[in-house]
Amino acid sequence: MNIRPELTNHQIGRSVPRLEGPEKVSGRASYVHNLKLPGMLYAKIFRSTVAHGRILSIDVSAARMMEGVEHVFTGEDVKTIVPNPYFGPAFHDQPVLAIDKVHFVGEPVAVVLARDPYVAAEAAQLITAEYEELPAVFDEVEAMHSKAVVHEELKPAGTFPDLKHLAGRKDTNIALDYHLRRGDPVAGFAQAVHVFEHEFRTQQVMHVPLEPMVTLAEPHHNTIIIHTASQSPSFVRIEIARLLGWPENRVQVKVPHLGGGFGAKLYIKLEALAACAALLAGAPVKVMLPMEEQFYTITKHASTFRIKSGVDHEGRLLARHCEVYWNGGAFADIGPRVTQKSGFTAPGPYDIDNVSIDSYALYTNRPPAGALRGFGIPQLVWAYESHTDIIAHELGIDPIEFRRRNILRDDRPQATGTPMTDAAVDAVLEKIAECMQWESGSRRKSDDPTKRFGRGMAIGFKASISPTTSVAVVNVAADGSVVLQLSTVDMGQGSDTAMAQIVAEILEVAAEDVRIVHPDTDVTPYDMATLGSRSTFHMGHAVRLAAEDAKRKLEELAHAMGFTDHAVWQPRDLFRRKYGMQAGNVIGVGTFIPEYRSPDPENGQSDKVTPFWMIGGTGVELEVDVETGHFRILRMINVADLGTPLNPRIVETQLSGASMMQLGFTMFEEMRLDAGQVTNASLADYKIPGIQDVPDAIENEIVAAHQSNGPFGAKGVGETATFGVSPAIANALFDAVGVRLTQLPLTPEAVFMAMRAKEGAASGV
Amino acid sequence: MRGFELVRPATLEEAIRLLDTDDPTVRPLSGGTAIMQMMKTGIFKPSRLVSLSSLAGDHSAITLDDKGFLSIGAMTTLAAVEHSQVVLQHAPLLPKVMKRLANVRVRNAATVGGALAHGDPHMDLPPVLAALDAEVIAQGPGGQRRIPVADLYAGYFETVLQRGEIIASVSVPPRNGCNSVYRKTTTRTADDWPALGVATSLGRGEGVLQHVRLFASAATERMTRLGSAEAHLRGNRPEAKLLEEAGRIAAQEVEVIDDAHGSAAYKVALVAVQVRRALHEALQQGSEQ
Repeated sequence: MNIRPELTNHQIGRSVPRLEGPEKVSGRASYVHNLKLPGMLYAKIFRSTVAHGRILSIDVSAARMMEGVEHVFTGEDVKTIVPNPYFGPAFHDQPVLAIDKVHFVGEPVAVVLARDPYVAAEAAQLITAEYEELPAVFDEVEAMHSKAVVHEELKPAGTFPDLKHLAGRKDTNIALDYHLRRGDPVAGFAQAVHVFEHEFRTQQVMHVPLEPMVTLAEPHHNTIIIHTASQSPSFVRIEIARLLGWPENRVQVKVPHLGGGFGAKLYIKLEALAACAALLAGAPVKVMLPMEEQFYTITKHASTFRIKSGVDHEGRLLARHCEVYWNGGAFADIGPRVTQKSGFTAPGPYDIDNVSIDSYALYTNRPPAGALRGFGIPQLVWAYESHTDIIAHELGIDPIEFRRRNILRDDRPQATGTPMTDAAVDAVLEKIAECMQWESGSRRKSDDPTKRFGRGMAIGFKASISPTTSVAVVNVAADGSVVLQLSTVDMGQGSDTAMAQIVAEILEVAAEDVRIVHPDTDVTPYDMATLGSRSTFHMGHAVRLAAEDAKRKLEELAHAMGFTDHAVWQPRDLFRRKYGMQAGNVIGVGTFIPEYRSPDPENGQSDKVTPFWMIGGTGVELEVDVETGHFRILRMINVADLGTPLNPRIVETQLSGASMMQLGFTMFEEMRLDAGQVTNASLADYKIPGIQDVPDAIENEIVAAHQSNGPFGAKGVGETATFGVSPAIANALFDAVGVRLTQLPLTPEAVFMAMRAKEGAASGV
Repeated sequence: MRGFELVRPATLEEAIRLLDTDDPTVRPLSGGTAIMQMMKTGIFKPSRLVSLSSLAGDHSAITLDDKGFLSIGAMTTLAAVEHSQVVLQHAPLLPKVMKRLANVRVRNAATVGGALAHGDPHMDLPPVLAALDAEVIAQGPGGQRRIPVADLYAGYFETVLQRGEIIASVSVPPRNGCNSVYRKTTTRTADDWPALGVATSLGRGEGVLQHVRLFASAATERMTRLGSAEAHLRGNRPEAKLLEEAGRIAAQEVEVIDDAHGSAAYKVALVAVQVRRALHEALQQGSEQ
């Protein structure tokens, strides 16, 4: 079988240009924002102005009377169709519209529907609400013991068995406490010659997808179609069906192209409100957020990480204690999973016999936090790699040499007990050292006396969220052309292209000739979600299995049609012979779930906590202006172990893209809050990096590696280059000017003030 | 934001008549890059916008008179200033500043008149034009008058323009051998609003500084002339120590505000550094010629 004999395969490892490229650059790609339906109403959300309060009254009368307004709904209206209208992936804590109380500034309280979006916006401004203000808590560490309690009672969703014990817990902001114990930390610290203890903090930031969140719900006779910019169409279907008490097959979720996701469009966001409003109004309803309102929808956890290490006289790590507080905001979203699934990597990629981890998901009265490219890992690496650098300097050991003595090598078990199989920590470390010519120490010097050169590096790692399921369908038409049906969402990461390459490799066609059906839950089968760099591995396997299934069925058909084993045939010959004309299909199905063993609830130990490890590191060379604290990144080197790349060119753009995104979170981005109110919710005041902020040079290096249980040796890569960026920059700043920053973002002012404080201390002022 | 009236007067006189009102919801619209943002965020709700687009034909010329004065029509886009050969020759600082002023989309739409009349202290053009001794020609119900750009601002988002008065053009005098520099400092991304803008223009004669202009913006509530620092420099030999002192004096005299771009304490330190660097840069330019 060979439709294009000149190809003789080699679809894997080929830098196939993105399949959607021409459609996107010519402006033909369709997005939910462009979709208009007859009779469609635009929604505008009226939001809470207090951080924590009991709702005394909501007055929607003026809005309702405004000409052009069709409907105004509050939480009470939602209850008429959904008796218990709370949703969320881990906890059912998020009301479709506020009921009884509000939990943060920006929480949706009411919604206005009008044919004209400007009318809806103006009417929303006529709504007033009265609140009895309650004490609020904003800081994650204070939330541990604060009198202000965000939710009266914890309501775990039940989807995760390990959260069930939390049901009904009262008077606490701790949504989840996760603990890991390995070896004997007390004894380990007792043996240590040196003990180091530091605290690091990160700020709340936002994903800023350039396509803001948008959902259009379209009610029909006894079904509903939800057109949505979502990374998890299957989850949306399940959750909407659950809320409505319908079977899944009455909810159809369709996802066209996405203008970026980064974790913002995961699980369920605007879909519940759009669906309820559409059913109440009996008309299609479009909820489209302006850029500003995204800041009230989902963010990245602010965090506090207290880390303590015991080291012996040879610079070997004997014991480490990690205490991590995750500021989850008002709704848990997927925060408890960040707390646990990322929490267990908190000690870093180091071989430490005695480890304890206490990781807490906390409710506060801030906008909710969830998944953002890296799923908590960048916050952890920021702390443990800054800490590692401090230890190395204090012990007088070169930072790379110190890591060499301590990294996890070969199949050594990580803190959970799961071995570090196919995890090239050492190769990543050595590649950074090589690229930076670390040993020869060729340090640049500036002619300008106001500039100081510095270099720093950091390495990190991540587990894949597990266990999760992917299903794919490969449909071969009677002319031999191939369609791939899958619910993976290509939001710019290139999954359509990579999956087409897998199908093409197996069915011996060109990747460019494989047609991808974008998520439509009536047609495309279940996929857990497009998150956590899981698609290449999980969906990659499902697609591989589906293609192999189709191939096997074609071969069986060939056999049945009397083709001998060595005969040359093409699929269309089979169909014609079988059906007498161009007719029929061959459908291949693939389902994949990796092996997994739940960690022991007592100590967090498991020998199969993840199907694969992602390893990434960054080296940075920079130049600091000692008079102003400004610094310029001269060179940023991202090194990754991503197994064998399916598409090297796309992988490289994933690395540079991820590192630039993390560079923004490191240097510029910060949601500023005043009594819970975001004061810079706009692109004018919340600054993401632009082209002029790109380092002078970005180099991306892929270490030679093979993920033995991965599809064609590959594994995920979407987040890997985020890991090391923040601590590499902080470590380089220390190298340049001798100041240690422990709080992100690393602003010029922070550098300047730290230098001034150091001078003051030195001169005794 | 729902409906508002959009009127397009054909002449400057008609525009002035339409704007000659006490109603603060009636505003002129030129490039719209600032006012549209204010409307979208609900800060400003107009009842009537007086679009000046029909005036662009008559008021977007860049000309040079026989005395070497450069005239830039108020409706000239920033991009037109950026790419004008005449401007490049007679006020080379202006095209240079444009490269880092907002972004190409804004520069294609925003106008010189709008950039001056808006009154936002974070704008780059006011300190630059002030350092160049530029004047605006304002036209109002009472006729025409010339206002030095240095005196255009009364406060935060506040100009000295009177009711019904519109900037018709900007006049930039010849350089007379002076060298001018603008230093923009951002504290977040490169394309951010400045945390501090410092503009200077220096002219030397007989080994001493004779002509000195020094302005700060962005860190201050309105564009501020650094008079004490200017006085310290004037008539003296431009040695490193003098420039250093001028920076320090500037940092002392300027009233700096705390905001999202940084604390006042930090920005005061920036003023000292950037004033000194701006002066150095201007002198260096001079010595290269």
